[in-house]
Amino acid sequence: MRRRSSWTSGSGWPTPVEAVTLLAGVDIGNSTTEACLAELGPDGPRYLGGALAPTSGVKGTAENVPGVVKVVQEALSAAGRGPHELSAVLVNEATPVISGLAMETITETVITESTMIGHNPDTPAGAGLGTGTTVAFAELGACTPGEQVICVVGAGVDFEDAAAGIAAARDRGVEVTGAIACADDANLIVNRLPAPIPVVDEVTLVEKVPLGMPAAVEVAEPGRTVRTLSNSYGIATLFDLDPDQTRLVAPVARALVGNRSAVVVRTPSGDIADRRIPAGTLTLIGEHARLSVGIDAGAEEIMATLRRVAPLADATGEAGSHVGGMLATVRDAMAETLSDTAGEQEVRIQDVLAVDTFVPQRVTGALAGEFALENAVALAAMVRTSRAPMEVLAEQLRSALGVAVLVGGVEADMAVLGALTTPGTERPLAVLDLGGGSTDAALATGDGEVRSVHLAGAGDLVTKLIDSELGLDNREVAEDIKKNPLAKAESFFHVRMEDGTARFFDEPLPSEAFARVVVLGEEGMRPVPTRHSLEKVRQVRRSAKHKVFVVNALRALERVAPGGNLREIGFVVVLGGSALDFEIPDMIAEAVAGAGIVCGTGNVRGREGPRNAVATGLVDDHAGRAR
Amino acid sequence: MSGVVDRRGQRDRRSPPAVVAHCACERGVRELLAGLEEEGVPVRLTDGDPGSAATAVELAHAAARESPLDVGVGIDAEGRVCVHHAKRPADRPVVTTDTARARWCGHNAARLVVGLPLKDAPERMEEPWPHH
Repeated sequence: MRRRSSWTSGSGWPTPVEAVTLLAGVDIGNSTTEACLAELGPDGPRYLGGALAPTSGVKGTAENVPGVVKVVQEALSAAGRGPHELSAVLVNEATPVISGLAMETITETVITESTMIGHNPDTPAGAGLGTGTTVAFAELGACTPGEQVICVVGAGVDFEDAAAGIAAARDRGVEVTGAIACADDANLIVNRLPAPIPVVDEVTLVEKVPLGMPAAVEVAEPGRTVRTLSNSYGIATLFDLDPDQTRLVAPVARALVGNRSAVVVRTPSGDIADRRIPAGTLTLIGEHARLSVGIDAGAEEIMATLRRVAPLADATGEAGSHVGGMLATVRDAMAETLSDTAGEQEVRIQDVLAVDTFVPQRVTGALAGEFALENAVALAAMVRTSRAPMEVLAEQLRSALGVAVLVGGVEADMAVLGALTTPGTERPLAVLDLGGGSTDAALATGDGEVRSVHLAGAGDLVTKLIDSELGLDNREVAEDIKKNPLAKAESFFHVRMEDGTARFFDEPLPSEAFARVVVLGEEGMRPVPTRHSLEKVRQVRRSAKHKVFVVNALRALERVAPGGNLREIGFVVVLGGSALDFEIPDMIAEAVAGAGIVCGTGNVRGREGPRNAVATGLVDDHAGRAR
Repeated sequence: MSGVVDRRGQRDRRSPPAVVAHCACERGVRELLAGLEEEGVPVRLTDGDPGSAATAVELAHAAARESPLDVGVGIDAEGRVCVHHAKRPADRPVVTTDTARARWCGHNAARLVVGLPLKDAPERMEEPWPHH
């Protein structure tokens, strides 16, 4: 993968003159376009500043023109220069990268007959275990003394009537050992009974509780979780089950672990299946081998297969599966991007990253909107082309800006040059560019050779994992969680940050935020619509970053390092939008610390941080040639 | 031990910890108390003066300032219900609604005390509000 810088330009290089020339280096990235403004004098470049704006359209296409015009104008006005002073704009050879994400759920808990209630109402009442036959509240009067029953209180029954009815039945000798209520009434009912019984409330689909069936209601003491109904043998003992039946209720017990209250109703035809969904297969085509792997084998197996076929030439997914659909979409999007250029290119998947994850899925047939955590595999894929329609872009840019536009410089080489302006670095140096759609790495050895690699999976995949693992179904909130530390609103005036420090506010917090987990983003505070604890949200966020960025950083560095040996790399400079993250660079530094590498977030030109590396590299390269 | 003041004698005169509710009308009071009871938070009910022109927000703020737990509820003569916290500005209550949602107000007043997120408003709950 040896590359040398090559410059192509229709207009040729401007001849270096004794007067200083004003240059703008522009880097068109997947999500942001960056500019670097410099004056080129006899003593080398003098940097005047930079600017950045969102990339318009797919990187490397003519749609980028408005974004480029915007950053160049911003950089000029920030430096107090006029557009007429600019002598040339340098643009990198931006090759389009299109990435796609897909998720396949590989397990599913299905309850075809309603057999359990495993939700966590805030206020169940009573404590202990009650067993008996389920009886509708209206039928309580018809029960014979001595009968053991579980009373099902439907919607619209007032708590005083419910308590009076249950008390009256108990007076007659009917053993009402527990109750299931529709409204949030459990404590109100229990407080009005002569002796407490376990009551589970807020069961929204109470009318679906099968009547006349043996059932058990368990409520744990505050601060504890159910013990009997979360234990397969506990359920087997209560309902006198044989080994085969016990095997069938095991998923129910598993689903109830960690709940404060639970109901299990035994229905004769109850059929609870914990099955693996056929998730389709992924075919990885290497240069020498072609292997298929089932998505349901899990991420580890998929990545091991990928290593066996490496280097990857293409990948296809089984038609009809999510992965097959995603790979086809990515391919089509790239084909469409390239359609306006003359060159007919074959679009091939260049890398895939599989990540094990879990998705909360509504349990089919459950009575209170229960969710079960199902295993899933998330897959990121990317295509990249070697040739880009840059000539079209350059031509349009030339007429929009009215200055010479020079296209040239391989992106990886330019990134290395820019990264080398970070104080304290020298060759051999590797850059790790953590973007939104792909993780790129390039290594510059002492003799000027640059090896680069582009891997699927980056910031967008992290957002997707956070979104699905927390069941948010809101990309914007997931993005906020990814980018900012968490806090919990403890009063109307202060929040407790995730590291334990308190932060006070002059204005009272909105009531929607009270006692909730919040993210403190740039636009202020946003409550996270979840019942998960702060610790849980934090753990999901950190593990998503680890599964994508740490894994990809190691994968990328191993691919560019001489002989795959990380110790041969002296310096690693982390660049890109995700390098601005408050914890990802630290995670990567920790992961590579063992190899004796100096690893840190870049500080381009000693002031730009991990931004502007390619734009700076373009100017630096040009200055080197001019001299 | 100079400077230590023995306040044990005053304990009887202090009010026990409770949410305070000022109610200028009977409507919604039973449901309000049920909401607080379900959450397990004590409440002290005082009659606002019946027929008073005070708004629910004013009643709730006065109640919150009387409450040792800093949480008050007001129901005015027109059937508006308000939940307030003593430390919030008087004109920025926690929630204001009408007596049809008094139960929800009771739950939320209690949740302010115990530090739980407020309950979703009834129409946003999955269960349709019973129409009887």
